[in-house]
Amino acid sequence: MNKTYDVVVVGGGVIGTSCAYHLVKKGFSVALVEKDDIAKGTSSHCDGVALIVDKMPGIDAALGYASIKRFLELKEELRYDFELHQRGSLYVCETDEEMEIASKYANDLHKEGYRVSVLTPEQLQEKEPFLAKDLKGGIFSEECLGINPFKLCFAFVNEVKGKGLDVYAQTEVTNIKLNTDNAVEAVETTKGTIITKRVVNCCGCWAPEIGKMVGLNIPIEPRKGVILVSGASFPICKQKIQEFGYMVSKFGMECKRPPELEKYGVSFTIEPSAGNNVLVGSSRNFAGYGTNAEIEIINMIAKRACRFFPILKEMNCIRSYAGVRPFMEEHLPLITDVEEVPGYYIAAGHEGDGISMSPVTGQLISEIIVGEETCRDIEPFRFNRYKK
Amino acid sequence: MKQCEMLVIGGGPAGLSAAIEAAEAGVQVVIIDANEKAGGQLFKQIHKFFGSSMHRAGTRGIDIGEELLQKCKDLNVEIWLNSLVIGVYDNNVVAVDVKKSLTEHELVKVQTKKIVIATGASENAVKFPGWTLPGVMGAGAAQTMANFHRVLPGKKVLMIGSGNVGLIVSYQLMQAGAEIVGIVEAQPNINGYAVHASKLTREGIPIYTGYTIIEAKGKERVNQAVIGKVNPDWSIVEGSEITLDVDTITIGAGLKPLIGMAYMGGCKLINDRFLGGWAPCHNYNMETTTKNIYVAGDASGVEEANTAIEEGKLCGVSIAESLGYLDSTKAEELKKAIWNRLAGLREGAHGTERTGAKQKQLEEYTKAMEG
Repeated sequence: MNKTYDVVVVGGGVIGTSCAYHLVKKGFSVALVEKDDIAKGTSSHCDGVALIVDKMPGIDAALGYASIKRFLELKEELRYDFELHQRGSLYVCETDEEMEIASKYANDLHKEGYRVSVLTPEQLQEKEPFLAKDLKGGIFSEECLGINPFKLCFAFVNEVKGKGLDVYAQTEVTNIKLNTDNAVEAVETTKGTIITKRVVNCCGCWAPEIGKMVGLNIPIEPRKGVILVSGASFPICKQKIQEFGYMVSKFGMECKRPPELEKYGVSFTIEPSAGNNVLVGSSRNFAGYGTNAEIEIINMIAKRACRFFPILKEMNCIRSYAGVRPFMEEHLPLITDVEEVPGYYIAAGHEGDGISMSPVTGQLISEIIVGEETCRDIEPFRFNRYKK
Repeated sequence: MKQCEMLVIGGGPAGLSAAIEAAEAGVQVVIIDANEKAGGQLFKQIHKFFGSSMHRAGTRGIDIGEELLQKCKDLNVEIWLNSLVIGVYDNNVVAVDVKKSLTEHELVKVQTKKIVIATGASENAVKFPGWTLPGVMGAGAAQTMANFHRVLPGKKVLMIGSGNVGLIVSYQLMQAGAEIVGIVEAQPNINGYAVHASKLTREGIPIYTGYTIIEAKGKERVNQAVIGKVNPDWSIVEGSEITLDVDTITIGAGLKPLIGMAYMGGCKLINDRFLGGWAPCHNYNMETTTKNIYVAGDASGVEEANTAIEEGKLCGVSIAESLGYLDSTKAEELKKAIWNRLAGLREGAHGTERTGAKQKQLEEYTKAMEG
């Protein structure tokens, strides 16, 4: 393989496939290089939602909202069905303290113009009759989406494969060659060298490795999350439901939670799937790159889920799986060029929001590479934030 | 947490034999079995074994089953029934879903030094229009119903597949009072042993070689089967369709190893059609690429009860040796004898291919451990 492409995208997850898709749409020839296979890592070991109400008010929520709008366009644009459903989503609160924080959070989002409403316990029951009866209330957003994450990756790839995109699966990047100006010159892989002036590092948890090849320190760490799958049944929930403790766990908010849950960042989430199985989560802990689902965590998640959704006690768990999410201290991904290395771009570090933010991430990367005005302010996502 | 030295997943011929061999040397063993009675497929094998004379030819599977269970009892092997292993986790922790009653389950965790995966195999499905209708089932399932639960699955049966399972189960269903409408085999020749096939043809049961199932018809349950002759490209020869009145279609399309636990344990797997598909690699001691996880019987590649018993014994001896209950000279002697018997059992029909596949498994283990 001695080929030349306008851009080499490294990483075949949802971010890489979205970048590849959006770049081809801009007229670039793109090689997508993946060490394993499409959607083989984090993008197939996650859940599948695009939400506003798991984002912090401000840029985080804005990016989430822009992605939801872009998803609705993609549903028409991509011929491969990725099972998009606009179902809405629900946060539920266990304590008065949580309800207070949640109401304030909802108000902040509301002020920014998002359609988010606060629900009483009675309204909660109306929306989801199988929720525990003793909850203190919740917040609801009608705009949130459900998506099949691996089908989404294939939808991006299938649309442009052979029409500007070549996929090199089972191909590992071994080195990135720079010229005397420190600019990208070629990408060396286990299957040969690709000549290119531009590389996009979309390797999520593994982005630091591809960063090191050009002397960059990308501060991403793998954070593990475990998810359980139930047997198929009649539809027991209509939308994504999460306990507000998920936000507490995700953003390290100030709020009292049981310490045994905090150890593994366990909080209740549930979402319906196309086949009427439910996915039940979740956990967050730092345990390296391993993706074993530990029985302790599975146990804790199941117990937590039964507390919020008692009907789950009557159902079987048929599978469990874990994935590693690319954690960044700032809870903001990198969607950026790199000043020191012309031609090197990064789109990584979305933690639990990769699926949700993939459309806008791909769009932004394509705009950055073209050099045109970006659809949003990219300053917060730039790599040079570490210089300040 | 409950502790043990050796935990065996699956109490069929392989698992029971592993347990007996290890317990005889002094190892403390727990067997976990999902069914209400251990013994695996042995208790539905009401026919006499055949083949190798050194290997119980003339003995019925059920008698071997009783014998193995009695030995386990004598050796104080703990057997948990109605207990399903749901996962193998880090540090040799095995999680078991213990069924207490129809609605009550308890999750029990066991910490063990050694794990033997002896989970057996599952039946391959054949998909055709109507395959999900009540009355369409695996040949093994029909055999369990008839021979173990003493329930006749149907009165007019069409068997798909003429391998030994298809032939034996057809004969047993016939003995139990069902009419075997026919046996369908897509290959040009009968797949199983002639001795079984001739028992059926003597009774006037038609074996349709070169035919395949096209469709199962029926509303509430299957009441007709349409079969047809196949061309070399698997299309149907026009006008060759035959419609048969049936109430049951049984599918004997081979077995594949149950590898869930090996996959979860991170054992390296290889794919070989003579193993029945994906199966874990293992070494001379039946240990997989994951330390302390061993495999035996159909779970290590589909064969039959005798090889399962021998592979189980290998696990038992190796584990007893590794835990210090057997000195290495004695263990080596036992292992050598078992491997010799296995070589004997792997002669005969498809013997070369099976021996080749088993050899590849050993080689892939070495490659994986060196790489």
